Amino acid sequence: MKTLENPRVGVFVCECGGNISDVVDVKRVVKAASEWENVVVARHYTYMCSKPGVELIRQSIKKRGLNRVVIACCTPKMHRKMFERNVEEEGVNLAFLEVVNIREQCSWVHHEDPEGATLKAIDLIKGAVKKVEKATPLYPGKMPVKQAVLVIGGGIAGITAALRVAETGIKVYLVEKEPTIGGHMAKYAKVFPTLDCAQCILTPKMGEVAENTNIELLTLAEVVSVEGVPGDFKVKIKLKPRGVDVEKCVGCGACNRVCPVETVSDFDEGLGKRKAIYIPFPQAVPSAYVIDFNSCTKCGKCVEKCPRKAINLDDTEKEIEINVGAIIVATGFKLFDLSEYGEYKYGIHPNVITALQMERLMNVTGPTSGAIVRPSDGGEVKKIGYVLCAGSRDTNKGKPYCSRVCCLYAIKQALMMKEFMEGLDIWIHYIDLRAAGRRYEEFYKNAQIEGVKFVRGKVSEIIPDGDQLIVRAEDTTLGRPIENRYDLVVLCPPIVPSPEITKLAEILKIPLDEDGFVLEKHPKLDPVSTKREGIFACGVILGPKDIQTSVSEAEGAAAKAINFLIQKEKIIEPNKAYLATPEECDACGECIEVCPTEAISIASDKVEINEILCNGCGACIPACPKEALDLKGLSDEQLMAEIEGVLTGSESEIKILAFVENEIAYTALDLTGVARLSYPSSIRVIPVPSTSRLKLKHILYAFAKGADGIMFLEAPEHEGPFGKAHAIAEERIENYRFDIEDYDIDSVRIWFSKVYVPDWRKLVKVFETFDRMIKDEGPIDQETRENLLKKLEEESE
Amino acid sequence: MAKYAFFLGCIAPLRYPGLEAATKKVMQHFGIELLDLNGASCCPAPGVFGSFDLWNWLVIAARNLSLGESLGADLTTICNGCYATLQEAWHILKEDPGKRRSVNEILSKINRTYNAKTGIKHVIEVFTNDIGIDKIKSSVKNPLEGLKVAIHYGCHFLKPRKIRGHGSSEKPHILEDIVKALGAEPIYYKEKLLCCGAGGGVRAGNLDTALEITARKLKSVKEAGADCILHPCSFCHFQFDRGQVELRERKGLEFNIPVIHLVQLIGLAVGIDPKSLGLYENEIPPTYLDKLGLG
Repeated sequence: MKTLENPRVGVFVCECGGNISDVVDVKRVVKAASEWENVVVARHYTYMCSKPGVELIRQSIKKRGLNRVVIACCTPKMHRKMFERNVEEEGVNLAFLEVVNIREQCSWVHHEDPEGATLKAIDLIKGAVKKVEKATPLYPGKMPVKQAVLVIGGGIAGITAALRVAETGIKVYLVEKEPTIGGHMAKYAKVFPTLDCAQCILTPKMGEVAENTNIELLTLAEVVSVEGVPGDFKVKIKLKPRGVDVEKCVGCGACNRVCPVETVSDFDEGLGKRKAIYIPFPQAVPSAYVIDFNSCTKCGKCVEKCPRKAINLDDTEKEIEINVGAIIVATGFKLFDLSEYGEYKYGIHPNVITALQMERLMNVTGPTSGAIVRPSDGGEVKKIGYVLCAGSRDTNKGKPYCSRVCCLYAIKQALMMKEFMEGLDIWIHYIDLRAAGRRYEEFYKNAQIEGVKFVRGKVSEIIPDGDQLIVRAEDTTLGRPIENRYDLVVLCPPIVPSPEITKLAEILKIPLDEDGFVLEKHPKLDPVSTKREGIFACGVILGPKDIQTSVSEAEGAAAKAINFLIQKEKIIEPNKAYLATPEECDACGECIEVCPTEAISIASDKVEINEILCNGCGACIPACPKEALDLKGLSDEQLMAEIEGVLTGSESEIKILAFVENEIAYTALDLTGVARLSYPSSIRVIPVPSTSRLKLKHILYAFAKGADGIMFLEAPEHEGPFGKAHAIAEERIENYRFDIEDYDIDSVRIWFSKVYVPDWRKLVKVFETFDRMIKDEGPIDQETRENLLKKLEEESE
Repeated sequence: MAKYAFFLGCIAPLRYPGLEAATKKVMQHFGIELLDLNGASCCPAPGVFGSFDLWNWLVIAARNLSLGESLGADLTTICNGCYATLQEAWHILKEDPGKRRSVNEILSKINRTYNAKTGIKHVIEVFTNDIGIDKIKSSVKNPLEGLKVAIHYGCHFLKPRKIRGHGSSEKPHILEDIVKALGAEPIYYKEKLLCCGAGGGVRAGNLDTALEITARKLKSVKEAGADCILHPCSFCHFQFDRGQVELRERKGLEFNIPVIHLVQLIGLAVGIDPKSLGLYENEIPPTYLDKLGLG
C-alpha cells in the first residue's frame, strides 16, 4: 500500500481523440503540471480510457513510484470506476485518485474560447493535484443485499422484467395500479409488423406471472414511500380496496349480471360501457372481478348472488411494507391530452378519436365487437383520415419529440382495415413517415401497395359537418392545400410519461428529463439504469418506443437487477461523515438536527455516526460549533487545498468558483457539455456532495485566494439524493451572503441556484448572467484579499 | 373607473367613423373615460410594415405607445391590426431591455421615451376585465333575443397565442360569452376561424385573392343562417362590408349579410340609438334591426 508521506503525483491528460485536444492545448497543460511541486510525471495521450492509456498509467505508477494519480479526461461519471479498479490493482488507494472533467466542463463548453479552456483545464487539474496530496486512504465497507426486486408497472415491460428476475429464483414484487396487469398492450388488436394478435401473445405471459411462485402480484397498488439505501430499500405500498377476494372469486360473473350500475369503460377508452362490478377483460390477471367504488351504489345485489361469498362492499385500503434490494421502474405512458388543440375537435365531435380508441374499436373484444362504425350514430364508415404528429414534433402547444410508434401503428391499423373492409378509403396525413427498424419499411410499402393513401403535410383544421368531418391539410408533394371529407378521423397524439412518475420519481429520488421521462444513467452506454444505484427502468417510461424494444429493455433491466443482487454483499461507499476530533464533541446535537437520514445518534457523551445510514452529504459538518466533524474523501483540509489549487493554477481575468452538487446539478452541467452549449470559461467547478457541506471559512478562503465570485449549484430538495440537506444548503448560503459583507466582500459575489436536470439549458443563462455581473463588479482588489487572509489566520488561531 | 387613451387607427376615422362614435357612446355608458390621443400615427400595420422592416415598425409603434405613457394611460383599440402591432411591440419592449434602450435612443431625437410602463388593451379586454360580463348582462335594455350571430374573432386578436395570452386560439369563447350575455345566440359555422381575407397586406396587394377568402367565409355564414356577422375589428368590418359590394360588382355574388362591430352590438343591447351607433352607415343595411323590433 502506498503511503501518505511524500506525495508523488502523476498527471495524465486525455486528448479524447480530439474531443479535448482540439480545444484545450494539452501540451501546455502537461507542461504547466510538470512544473508543480510533487508532480513526478505529466503525460498526455489520445485515449486514456483505452487499454494502452490505462497501461500507460499503470506502468507510470510502477516505474516512477507514483502514490497519487490525477486523470484529466471526460466526466468522472463515465470512467472513474474503471480507473479506480486499475490504480487499486497497482496499490494506489481509491482516495489517491482524482478524475478531472476537462471535456464536459472545458473543451465541449468553451469551444469558442480555446485559451480560456486551456487555462481553466490547468486550474482544475491543479485543484485536483492539491486535493489528492492531502488525501487519506479510504476503505469501503460491506453490507448484505436483500434478495428481492420490486417491479413497478405491470405492462409488457414490467411483466417481462418480473418474469426474467423470478426465473432465477429471486423474489419479485410486481406492483400495478390497475386491477389487472397487461397495460396498454392488452388493449391492442394486433401488433406491427407481424400482425400477431396482441392478446394471443400477451396473455400467456400474464398467465406465467400468475403461476410463478416467486412473483407476488400486487394490483390496485401504489408505492407511497421508499426508505433505506440501494441493496436495502424499505418500500411502503398502498393497496386500494378491490371489494372482491381474489382467492375466492372464480370469475363466474353472477355479480356482473345483477349489478344495476352502468358506467363508462376506461378499458374501452370511454367508447363502451361496463358495470360497477366488472372484469376489465376476460383474460385479466388476477382473474377476478373488481368493484369500481367510485360508481358502486352499494346496493348489495352482487353480495347476495355471489356463490363463493367473495364480495366485501366494506373493503378498505391497506398498507404493506416490503424490503427489496433493487427496483425496476416500468410505469409506461399515457396519451397527451389534446384539449389544447381546438382545431382538431377532439372531445367536441364524437367521430374524432384517438388511435388508442381506434384500437378498441377494431378489437373483436371491444365495444363494437370489432365493427368500425361512426361513434356519433353507428353509421357506416367509408373514408377514414389519420392525423399523424397530432401534437408530436410541435414546440408550440404539444411535444417537441417524435413519438416514434405512431407511423407504424397507423399503418398497422390501415392494413388491418384494408383486409376486412372492402372499398374502405384510408388517408394518412403525415409530416415525415418514419419507418426505421427491421421489417418496418417493408410494412410501409405493403400499405402503399394495398392502396392506403399517404399525404405529406400538416393538418390545419378539422371542421365538423353533421356526422362527417372536413379535414383541411397541406399536400406538400403537390404543393397545394387539400380538403377531404371523412366519416372518422383518427388522431395520433404524443406519447407522454404516465403521470404517476412525477411523484414516484420524487419518492425514488431519480431525476426525470425535460419531457418528464426517466433520465438514463447514460443515454448511450447505460440506457436501462437510472441515475440512482439499484434502480433501473425499462419500456416507454424511458421514452416512446415499440413493444419489441420495450421487451428488450425489460430483459436488460432484469439482467441489471440480477447483477446488482448477485453480489450478495454490497460495498458501502467510504465517503462518510465521521467524528474527527472526538475530544471536542460535547454531544450538543446540532449535527443530529440537520442529518437527512437520521444517521447520527448520541452514544454516552458523544455523537455516533452510522456508516450505512450516512449518505455522505456533509450537511452535519458545518453544523458542529466545535468543528469536530469531517468528511472522508473530502476533508476540510482537502477542500481548502483544492480551492487554492483551482484558483492559483493560471492567470485569468476573473475567476468564478462554482461548488456543484455532485448528482443532479453535476448531471445537468454534463448535459450542457453533451449538447455542446457554450458558457464563459471563468466558471471553475468543484464538485461537492451537497453545497451544505461548505463552511463559511471555505468561502472566505476562496475569496482570499483569488475567486471574484462564487456560485452554489444545488439539487432541489425533492429530487436530489440527500433530501433536506439540499434545503439546508440554500439556507446556509443565504446566511453566508450576509456574513461575507462583514469581510468587505459584496453580497452580489455569491450566487445560489437550485438546478433541475430538465432545466439544464438554463444553466448557460445562469453562468452568463453571473459572469456579466462579476465582470461589471470587477476583480476583488489585492488589499481586500490580503486583509481577508490575515483575518482568517487570526480567527483560526 | 378606468381610463384609456383611444387609439383610433386608420380605418375607423377614414372609412367608418360610426365605429368611433359607437365606441365613445358605449364607453361613456359604462363610465369608462376615453382620452384623445393627439399625435397618433398609423400603428403601423403588422403585416405590411412588419414584414418589410421590423425595426422601424417597432420604433413607430413605440412612439404611439409613448403617447399613452405620457398620459399615464393604457391605449385601447377597436382594431385587431392596431392591437397586434401595439401589443406585440409592448411585449417586446417590456421583455427586452436592450431593444428598449436602442428604441429610446431613436425616440430621444424627438424628445420622447417609452418605458413599457403602459401598454394597450383591446376593447374586448376592457369589456371583459374592466366592465365584466355580469355588468354587461345587467345593463341590457334590449335583449337581442332570437338574433343569430356568426362570430368572427379575426386572426390578430388571438394569435400568436403565447404573446396575446387569451387562451386557446382554436377554441376561443370570449366573444360567445358576451354575445350570450346580450341575449343573442352565437351560431356555429364551418369557416369560423378563417381570416376575413384582408389582413397581411392581401387586400392591398391582391384584391381578388382577398375576396375569394371573404366569399368562402360569407358563404359559410349564409349557409348557417346567421342574421349578422359580429367581429371586434375595424379592418375585418371594412372587408366584410365593403367586400360584399366588391363581390357583387366584380363576381356577381350577392350575400347581403349585415356586419356589426362588437361595440355596436353592445351599444344596441344597452339601449343606445341605432343611428348614433353608425349602423346605417354600412354598405349592407342592418336588416336585423327589424327582426329585433328596433328598426
